[in-house]
Order: sequence, then structure tokens, then C-alpha cells
Amino acid sequence: MSLAFAILVGLLMGLVFGFALEKSRVFEPGVIVGQMQLRNFIMLKVFLTAVATGAVVLAALNGFGLVKLQPKAALYAADIVGGLILGVGIALAGACPGTTLAQIGVGYRDALFTLAGGLAGAVAYGYAQPALSKTFLASGAGKLVFTDLLGLPYWIGALTLAVVLVAILVSLEAWLPWREELGPDVDGDRPDAGARRAPPAHAVPAE
Amino acid sequence: MPSLFDKAWSPYVAGIVIGLLQIPAFLLIETALGASSSYVTVGGLLAALVDPSVTGIDYVARHIAATAKNWWQVALVVGVALGAFLSMKLSGAARQPISPIWARALGSPSPARRYAVAFAAGFLMLFGARIADGCTSGHGLSGVAQLAVGSTVAVAAMFAGGIAAAMLMLRRV
Repeated sequence: MSLAFAILVGLLMGLVFGFALEKSRVFEPGVIVGQMQLRNFIMLKVFLTAVATGAVVLAALNGFGLVKLQPKAALYAADIVGGLILGVGIALAGACPGTTLAQIGVGYRDALFTLAGGLAGAVAYGYAQPALSKTFLASGAGKLVFTDLLGLPYWIGALTLAVVLVAILVSLEAWLPWREELGPDVDGDRPDAGARRAPPAHAVPAE
Repeated sequence: MPSLFDKAWSPYVAGIVIGLLQIPAFLLIETALGASSSYVTVGGLLAALVDPSVTGIDYVARHIAATAKNWWQVALVVGVALGAFLSMKLSGAARQPISPIWARALGSPSPARRYAVAFAAGFLMLFGARIADGCTSGHGLSGVAQLAVGSTVAVAAMFAGGIAAAMLMLRRV
């Protein structure tokens, strides 16, 4: 496969990805910070839907022998330490590495600083990697997939996951309809969100 | 039917569209959807302008190599910016230069303060993602869908870290 073809495919896929991120509002700092403060669940809804769709797609592609799975190695210490640091970064950035670019696309100026910090962080890791690879962070269990542990074919596990996720999404939607979460101006930013859920101050009985 | 001119799509429509992107990723590029290694590719090339010896680090050399997977992912994130811009233009949405939530979350309307927090947050985000070998896309979307044990652990840690930081370090948005 030529480099030019890969770049063209990447650009086209990115266009679709960025479009969906903007339309769903999941790239909004208000939606991402709102998710992490457990008062807006748009991010979880988009995320779990994409995971369920991906699981169905891969169950078919892998089940019919068209593609090989590409799971990452299970490096538990690195997954936990790195995941925690990444999570703190996501909350304070109000973005993840992919949605930072969507924020730049719509003109959020602070996202340029997130990007610059991200590039600096990636380079800093590059310098640290030879040393870090000799620590506890490099220990792990190799490429481990849940269905292999259970001795089941991947497609059965993937379809089961999709069914469970759909059930979770249906309950989530019944509890918090997405239109209500986006608000009338179709924005994830809801200044009234906290106020509406918390009881008004005068309603709290005095001791 | 969702239209390209809508201001918002349901999270379920958008999630299905994003999940379907695994088809071209696996069939054409033989890889899973991901975003964070592109920061090493671009960051590594920029760093090499200042310090050419950085290309001697095997990890950096692997990421800046002119391979289809490396540059596919750089093109993907560039496309994300273009796609978001296009979607915004088609729907006629307009945004402030900084989301109004930050004045509340940070307790200050100062852009300089927000820029400093954003830079530090970006640094943590990518340093963490590179330790974990993946981000919300690579571990989250792709790893969990593939039932990868390590990715599931990484995603749980991401939400734990994110929830703790948003509750303890930011004010209510």
C-alpha cells in the first residue's frame, strides 16, 4: 500500500470522524468535563455506541476470516498509571487526543495550547521511553483477549458485549434523554445544568 | 433522517458512524482506530529540528518513519479538524474563542490561565497516553471492542483519573 493512499484514506476517515464528533457535541469541553463530573452522559452514549458498533463490525470481519484482530498488549501497570494520568489530562483539557483536533477545527483557541502541550508530552515521553522501558511499567501479560481466556471464539464475545452495551444505552436514554442533555440551543454547555439538578438553596430545611 | 446541515445528531447516530470507521481501518490500513501515536510522529519530527539525536531513540524512530500506518494516523487527526470545521459551517453554528464553561470550571475568566491549564493538560494527556500505549480511541473505541484485557483496564483508569480530577480540581460546570 502506498503512503499517498494511506494518507488519502486517513484524511477521508478523519473528515467523517470529525464530522460525527462535531454533530454529536461530544468534543465540547462542556460535554467532556460534564461527563467527568457525572452530570452529562453524552460522552458515554457516543463512546459506548461506537464500541458496540465496532464490536459488531469486527465480529463479522474477524468471524468470516477477513481481518486479524490488533489488540494491544496487556501491560497492567502501564495501563493503570498511564490511564490515570491521561484521565487527569482529559478532564483539565476538556478534550482527548482526538477531540483536541476537532476543537481546533471549530476555532477554540485554547485547544491550540492543548495540542502544543500534547506534542511536548509526546516528545518528553520519547526521551523518557528508553529509561521507562526498564521499569515496572514494561511488565505485562502480552496480547490478552477476554474470549481467549474463556476459550470462546471472538465473535461470540463481541456480539455479547454489543448486546450488553445496547441494554445499558437503552436504560441510560430512558433515564436521561439526549435532547434534554443537549439543551434547547443544541449545545453541551448548560449553565443551568447544575442548578436544575441540585435542590434550590431555599428548599433545604434549616436545622 | 439526520442531515449534514443539522446542528446536532443523536449520540447514537454519531456513535454508529464512528464505530463503522473500524471497517476501512482494518480492511485498508490493517490497524485499529487510534489518535495518540500521531503526536509522537509530529512531535518527534519537530523535536528532530532542534535535537537531531532524538531520531536515535528507537521509539521515536519507529514513529517518525514514513510508514503507511504512521502517516495514516496523522492524516486522520488532520481530517478530524477539517471534518469538525465543515460540520460547524454546514450547520451555521458559531462558537466563542474559549468555551464559556472554563470561566466557571477554573473560577476565572482569564484566557492566560486557561491557556496555561490547557498546555499542562495536553502534556499530561499525551504523556499518560504514551505510557498506556493508547488513548480514548486506541484503547477505548478499538481495544474494548476487541475485548482486549489491557485496554479495558486502561479505560477504567482513564475514567477514574478523569472523574477524580474533574471533581477535585475543577468547579461545577
